[in-house]
Formats: sequence, structure tokens, C-alpha cells
Amino acid sequence: MIAATYSLLALAISAGTAADEHLLAGAGAFRDGRFDAALVEFRVAEKLGAPDAGAYAAAALVKLGRPEEAIEAFASSPPGDDDLLDWYRALACYDARLYNCAGRLLTGLDHSGPKVAAEVAGLRGEIARVLAPEPAKASIDWYLARCDERRAEGRTALAAAYCREAADLGARRKDRHGGARAKAELMRLEPAAARGGRQ
Amino acid sequence: MIAAFVASVVLGAADPCVPVEPAAAADPVAAATYRAVAETEAAKGSPGTAILAYRNAAALDPRDRASRRALEGYCSEGRRADPFQDGMAKMDAGDLRGAIADFRAARGRSDDPSVALLEGICHYELGEDRDAEPLLVAAERSPEDSHLAKFYLGLLALRDGSASRAASLFDAASASPGISPLASDLARLARSEGRWALTLAAGSGWDSNVNLAPPGAPPAREADGLYAFSATGLLRPWGSEGPYLRAQGLLNRQFQLGAYDVAGGDLASGWQLRGERWSGLAEYDFSYRTFGGSPFLSSHRLLASAWAVVGDFTLGATYFARFESYADGFSPFSGTVQAGEVRTSFGLGARARLALAYSFARDAAQRSILSYLEHGPRAELRIVMARGVRLGVDVAATFRGYDVFDTTLGAQRADTYLDSGALAEWDLSRAWTAQLGLRGRYALSNVPGFEYAKVVPMAGLLYTFSP
Repeated sequence: MIAATYSLLALAISAGTAADEHLLAGAGAFRDGRFDAALVEFRVAEKLGAPDAGAYAAAALVKLGRPEEAIEAFASSPPGDDDLLDWYRALACYDARLYNCAGRLLTGLDHSGPKVAAEVAGLRGEIARVLAPEPAKASIDWYLARCDERRAEGRTALAAAYCREAADLGARRKDRHGGARAKAELMRLEPAAARGGRQ
Repeated sequence: MIAAFVASVVLGAADPCVPVEPAAAADPVAAATYRAVAETEAAKGSPGTAILAYRNAAALDPRDRASRRALEGYCSEGRRADPFQDGMAKMDAGDLRGAIADFRAARGRSDDPSVALLEGICHYELGEDRDAEPLLVAAERSPEDSHLAKFYLGLLALRDGSASRAASLFDAASASPGISPLASDLARLARSEGRWALTLAAGSGWDSNVNLAPPGAPPAREADGLYAFSATGLLRPWGSEGPYLRAQGLLNRQFQLGAYDVAGGDLASGWQLRGERWSGLAEYDFSYRTFGGSPFLSSHRLLASAWAVVGDFTLGATYFARFESYADGFSPFSGTVQAGEVRTSFGLGARARLALAYSFARDAAQRSILSYLEHGPRAELRIVMARGVRLGVDVAATFRGYDVFDTTLGAQRADTYLDSGALAEWDLSRAWTAQLGLRGRYALSNVPGFEYAKVVPMAGLLYTFSP
């Protein structure tokens, strides 16, 4: 999958601009498993104007175990354009415990190649296992609290992601616990989140 | 060119103390961009990537004093040390907060599931389950760390009250030989922690001294075979925290000495509270017994118990008051029993746990010659022998002194009871467990007629229905 990402990037880079060179250097570092170096190069490329660099930086953040930052970085580009990036987007959601978010993204990867499909199936199984029981009230409250915290920090896209997860989980309970509050928060957050792209 | 530059810079690049080699061609504009990225990463608390970007900036612009100062700062902070090794040392020393910070820094340098596993374990030990889970899930995806990650995820699920999920995780973890005994044992315990459980038990054995006869004096000692059945149902609608209802029925019958048969039932309800490192419960229990086929005893018991984890020790205390009403013929024994116990338990290596307790009891019976105060120590050793095989051994001494002089006996009775027992359990399958047990008692008294010794070997089978 990494090699495929590298190839994809190499094909995408059409000219030898400085931004593209950093993008390519980041892809090389990513391929070699040097995700910290990849992140730095993708960030530099992003600052130099490479349009997709933010999403590649997000993939590196996933590999570096920084899923919340990855979700924010992915927010600058909508899902659906690139299966590989959507896979990393799903992983970011999963690692941030946004299981419904991850599940939605995996649905869009149904027609990917066999290798990706196997990994998608594995992650889907994990998500199904986590979501099998009725969500506990405490669990929904945790997402709402995380939403509040991130909103207070000004991280609106991330806050919206947590509130959306709370709303999704609340809808799976008979008493709809937390659902109304989550939707009210989303009403406040969605404009900002919508500008940054919906996970 | 950029790729070659990056490759040359990143070799040993995460070390802020290694001198920066200037790039073949200075590029102050690119350096400024690297520095901006470095400052963003530093602000986000990611020193690994910040150092990397600062080094690139310094290499591309020899006059970039800001980047060099930042690198000097990281260097003087001791960033030369390997944060993973630092984290391990701190974890071993019990500094879990410090270890988490170091493991996080180490993960900033490389995507190593083993580091995520260790960081997750630290969070688990601190009771920060929400922070532990994503790290353990990340580690679970690595074949090398999968089993241990599943084991800790099982512990998280158990603490969260998801007993069935915990059991399946422990089952999966038990595929690893290193943790198999402990994991399979915990899987069994998790199944008994679900929202409901029904356990059926059947056993048979032999009692060497059914009538508690003293040695060398009448009445003659009578030995007999016995068989026993019991059924215990437990309902916990909210899981391991909250209210619960327990019902038990039992039947212990002698093969020949039917006058000593015991049958009865218990109905209990209570409430359990559970914190990260403590737990407690309050319970009411109604009990009814027959003896030799005739009504014998009914009682109401109020019980409170609490325990807490302090360091490597579990400390606990229990108190109960039981209001006993014996049937005609035994009615002088009626009264109130109050009992308490303090206890501690701790691990002896990875597979054994030792519990030490001291108990007190006061039986205020209707007749003062039957009232007593007793106390004594108890020790229990529990060993996980192999996957699904457990051994428990316990010994206890009880010193009982009766309240008043008994004119019939011509003495103020004082007894000492020495008890010991051993129980081996083997999980034949997820639901079936085989048991072999041996119990023994040696009773000493200042009244020779109350001295006796007995042993009771038993073999049995348990079947547990659980979600």
C-alpha cells in the first residue's frame, strides 16, 4: 500500500517545482518507513503550495500515531477522491475511536483491490466488534466531553467529528441518550466543519 | 535534489546534538519553510519531527540562528537519550507518567506498535482506560504484539463491564504460550462477570467423620460417602457495577447417614460500586436450611465489603451481621452473629497470588453458654498451573472462647480449629470445569468430647451458562 502511495504521488507530480520535489521526498521517506521525515517534507510541500500535501501529511500523522491531528489535516480535502488516502482517513478515525466515522469511510472502499479489500474487511470486523453492544451512556458522554474540549481549543473540525460520533452512537440507543445535545452542538460546529470538509 | 538532501540529513537526524552538516547549496527560503514547520511541530509537542525540521533548516541556511538555538535547547534538555529506553526505565521505576511522555516522544520518531503497547499499558495501570484503548488497538494490529495487546484490551473490557467481550479477547490472547495460563484463567473469570450466569455443580466424596466424634471415646466415629448438587444463578442487569440478584439452591446428602443431610437455599440482593482502583458492595441475604430432612435454620444477613488496589497490593475488609433463627430443638443457638475480616493479597510472580486475612466473629446466642468470640488468621495461595488448570491451597486457624462457664461440661469451653484445604480445577471447555478437592479439620478443645478430626475428599463437575 505504501509503495502504491509512492507510485501514485510520483505519477501525480507533473513538474519539478520545489513543492513537488518536497512532495516526492516525503513520499520516498514514507515508503522507507521514515514517517517523521515524510511528515516534515509533506508539511513543507504544503506550505509551498502543493494542493494534496495536506492529505499526505495526514497519512504520515496516522503512521506516527497522531490520529486527531490527522483528522484535522484530512479535513482540508473531502473524502472520495483517493482510495488510499481514504483508507488512512478511516484509520485516523478508528485510532481516534471514531468508529462510525471509520465505518462510513470503509463503505466507500468496497471496490478497492484485493489487498486493500482484505485490510478493509479486517478493520470492518474490528469496528463491528466494538459497535456490537448497545453504546453505554458513559461512552456517549465521553464523546460529548471530547467534543466540548476540542471546541474550546478551537479545533472545530475535530470537535464536530466527536459530536457526530456521539450523535451516531446515541441514535443506536432506545433512549437516544446524548443525541439531541450532540446534534445541537453540530448545528453550531457544522459551518466551520463543513468549510473544512466532512469526515 | 531534495530527496537526496533529505536522505543525507535524516541519517541520525533526530538527534539534536549531532552537528548539522551544511547543504551543498544554501537555500534560505526553503530553510525558512522548514523552520516554520519545525515551530508548528514543536508547538504541537512533537519534538522528533520538530528537531528533524530544524536540522533541515539549519543545514540549508548556515545563518539560521533560530533553528540552531532551538536544536541547542533540545540538546540541553537531554534529547540525546533514547526516549524509548528512558520510558522503559521510568516504567520499571513506577514513574508511569514520565514513561508515557517518553513513549509518546518515541512514537513521534518511528511508528512502532511495541511502543504504543507499552504506552497503552502505562495508561491502563493509571486507570486511564480511554487513553489506553486506541494505543492497544494500534498495537493489536502488529502480529508481534497482538496477543499481549488483546490481553490488555480484555482487561479494559473487564473493567468497563463488557464481560463477554473481555472473555473473547482473553480467549484470543491465550493463543500465546507466554500468557496462556493467565489469559485463559481471566477468560473464565470474565464469563462469570457477565450480566447473568447460571452455574450448576455436582460432586461426590467421602467424609471420614460425619458425626464429629472425638478420637478414642464414644460416640463411635461414623464415615460415609456423600453427594452434592447446587445451582447458583446471578443476575446483574447493569453488568459488574450496580444492582444484582443471586439465588442458590443446594443439596448435600449422605449415602447412608441421612440424619446429616443438608438442603437449603439462599436469596440475596445487593449493589456493587466500582471505581478505577477500588470496589465495594452492600448485600442482603436470606438463607434457609434443613438438617436431616427437618427445618433447621433461617437467617437474614446484612453484609458490606470493600477493597482497593494500593500499589502491588489489594487491601480489603468485610463485615456482616447475621440474624439467626433455629428451629425447635436447636432454638438456644438462635441469636446474632457478627463477623469481620481484613485481608490483603499480592502477586507472587506472574502465576501465583497469596492472600492473607484475619477474621473476627461474635456469636451472641440465646443461651450464654453457647455464645462465643472467635478470631484467627487465614492464608490462601492460588496458582495458575497451566492453561485452564488452577490450584488453590488454604490454611486457617481459629481460636474460639465461649462466654461463660458451662456447668454441664464443667468447663468454660475454649476451642481451636485448624483447617486446611486444596482445590484443583481444570477447565474442560468454555463451560465445563472439573474439580478435585480435599478439606481437612483438626478441632482441639479443653473439653475432650469436642475434639475431632476429619477429612473430606471430593470430586465434581461445574457447568456454567453465561452470555
